[in-house]
Amino acid sequence: MKKLLFLMVALFVGVSASAQMVPDVKLENQEGKVISTRNLVDGVPAIISFWSTTCKPCIMELNAINDNLYDWLEEAEFKVIAVSVDDARTLSRARAMTQGQGWDDYVCVYDKNQDFKRAMNVSLTPHTFIMDGKGNIVYSHSGYTPGSEQELFEKIKALK
Amino acid sequence: MKKFILFLGVALCATLCVNEASAQIKVGEEGRLSIAFESSTSYYAKDKLLEDIGKYTNYNPDPDYEFSFVDGPDRSNIGSNDYLKLDYSWKGLSVGLQVDAYLPPLYGYDLYKYSQRDSKLSGFLSKYIQWEDKNWGVRVGDIYDQFGNGLIFRTYEDRNLAFNNSLAGARAYYNFNNYVNVKVLAGMPRLYDIRTNNWVYGGDLSLSISDMAGWNDGIVSLEGSYVGRYDSDISEFNVIDWQTQQEINTLGRQHINMVSGRLNFEYMGITLRGEYAAKLNNDLFNNAANVGKGNAIYVDLGYNYKRFSATATFRRLEGMTTMIDPRKDNIFGGNLLNYIPVLTRQHTYSLAGLNPFMGAPSGNEIGGQIDLYYSLRNKKARGKYWNFHANFSMFNTYDHVALNSDSDIREGRNIWLDFNFDVERQWNKSVKTTFFYSFQRRDSDQYDMPEAHYCPSHIFVADVTYKVNKKHSLRFEAQYLAANNYEGDWVAATIEYNFAPMFSFYVSDMWNCEPMQDGSYGNYFYHYSMANSNDPALYENPYKHELLHYYQVGASFTYNSLRVQLSYGRNREGIVCSGGVCRKQPAFTGANLALTLSF
Repeated sequence: MKKLLFLMVALFVGVSASAQMVPDVKLENQEGKVISTRNLVDGVPAIISFWSTTCKPCIMELNAINDNLYDWLEEAEFKVIAVSVDDARTLSRARAMTQGQGWDDYVCVYDKNQDFKRAMNVSLTPHTFIMDGKGNIVYSHSGYTPGSEQELFEKIKALK
Repeated sequence: MKKFILFLGVALCATLCVNEASAQIKVGEEGRLSIAFESSTSYYAKDKLLEDIGKYTNYNPDPDYEFSFVDGPDRSNIGSNDYLKLDYSWKGLSVGLQVDAYLPPLYGYDLYKYSQRDSKLSGFLSKYIQWEDKNWGVRVGDIYDQFGNGLIFRTYEDRNLAFNNSLAGARAYYNFNNYVNVKVLAGMPRLYDIRTNNWVYGGDLSLSISDMAGWNDGIVSLEGSYVGRYDSDISEFNVIDWQTQQEINTLGRQHINMVSGRLNFEYMGITLRGEYAAKLNNDLFNNAANVGKGNAIYVDLGYNYKRFSATATFRRLEGMTTMIDPRKDNIFGGNLLNYIPVLTRQHTYSLAGLNPFMGAPSGNEIGGQIDLYYSLRNKKARGKYWNFHANFSMFNTYDHVALNSDSDIREGRNIWLDFNFDVERQWNKSVKTTFFYSFQRRDSDQYDMPEAHYCPSHIFVADVTYKVNKKHSLRFEAQYLAANNYEGDWVAATIEYNFAPMFSFYVSDMWNCEPMQDGSYGNYFYHYSMANSNDPALYENPYKHELLHYYQVGASFTYNSLRVQLSYGRNREGIVCSGGVCRKQPAFTGANLALTLSF
């Protein structure tokens, strides 16, 4: 146990930090078809937001981005990928909610076995990442306070 | 304690290492190392009022009896659930490990009851190695997977419940041209912080009919699964029939075989998902001892058009409660191999979730829910909109009329009803309001009593967010629960001030405000004392006029993927649910430090 912990400390110290590729995991799209996370990488930067139907701040964050979306798109090109981590119990509600909240400009994907959540090491939702056009994760943020969406936009603009 | 300090040291080191905004660490060509740390640590303070009420309601005439809120080994005044997860991936290969440390576990987490260790401290190490190719994949180690809706099999982790039933074993899948997908797996499931000796194995096959036919406008697929549980323990054991309360002596192994068949259909905004599952042999460990063979029906219908969407879910369960280790208790659904959560709306407002539905105790129930969503927005003024949501759920018992009878006649009694709706209005860039109402009616007594003791309640919530400017915002929430029996009326309020993107502060309080018809406060504790005691002296509740405030104060700090939250308050004894699975939370007063970090 101790050895293991020391190994981890060594790893922390020994490696240098830099941007990394989004992991290759299978997800479901809005229609229920299986897609790979690599399909989401298409040259356009993206805000990747992990949410669930029982997470209120997640929904607040996605709504706040949605409110500003058209203004922001005038200044920078990007897309929003909403990753629902709802399981079989709330999956159909999550699908309904993306329509009923008017998130029709978002790319909505469903991670019902939470493979993507585990691969991205998300322990608490909301957790938001920024991915550049090549699929590199360049920024991440957990939690939401009204107004923190502005920071995401600043990071997107900085990608230019 | 040494371990605890060491763990905190590592956590601190990890925190200090986040010196730039990058999300993950690169090792080698295309390789990636990702690390996540999560910790929740509580300090339990002495609360005289809670203790007095606890002594009173858990009254024991034995003068030597020492009251403690929580059973199990002696509690320390500190609890900490910690998780450290490391993943390395390179091309299709990934390896990872996770260390769970319970130093000791927080109050109210079931794993305390299962832990077979002498020490109060406990931990678990899980690991995996996997290869993912375009059409196939292999994984050895801890496996998280589910077949269909999880009616016969689901392994997953939920840290809100300290639940993890991952299989230690192997899994392989192959996908042929998107037409056929085959998956097989086998392993030994985990039960909280121990690995059971039982084997679980299964396979899943899905056929995409629409892909085979070259139909691209919709989806038609047929799926089927098999799961078996092999009980490696051959010793004799006793089980208690929950209905007759009689002990049944059973010899030897309990092998279980389960199958499921599914149909998925989607076309022009209409979706239909149906599943039928069956348990093929008698499961003596079923809650419903007279329904050894189980079955379940699950139907999910959905429709959406533009910004309107509707879903309806129906489920019937009979004897499908399947334990990981039948020789251990199943307290609040922690010892489960399959996923049969309650299908009601999980409320986020505290008073709406004060007394949630926990499912029929026999596991035999029939019911469903309906959800409607609509968003009304102006194309020109995007920042102004209305969002509407309505939900209705209802569940009845589905038990045999006579005990141990082969009769097909079932008794159905309503045990849960919830109608709720919320209206959300974004008025302009700075003001947003939400109004929420819920009518709930539940069987307030033991669910297995012959006649119902209905307790209806109305819950009203108003929630206002005001954005002072781009960074500062204020949120105010007021809640009221009106009920004529059980605990009577409750009131709750929260004030939250946010300073984006880093700081957030909140203060909240919740109390049982209105006396009931007999003049007493309908406190939770009061209710229990009446139910548990035959001593007439106890009917004179000395605390009936003592108002208990369940207050909380807290602050959180966020920097990139680091989040730290510190809170202090009194917690009500009650049910905490996550993903439709619930655990019982004892009453306590204390401070909590929650930390998450990943990179």
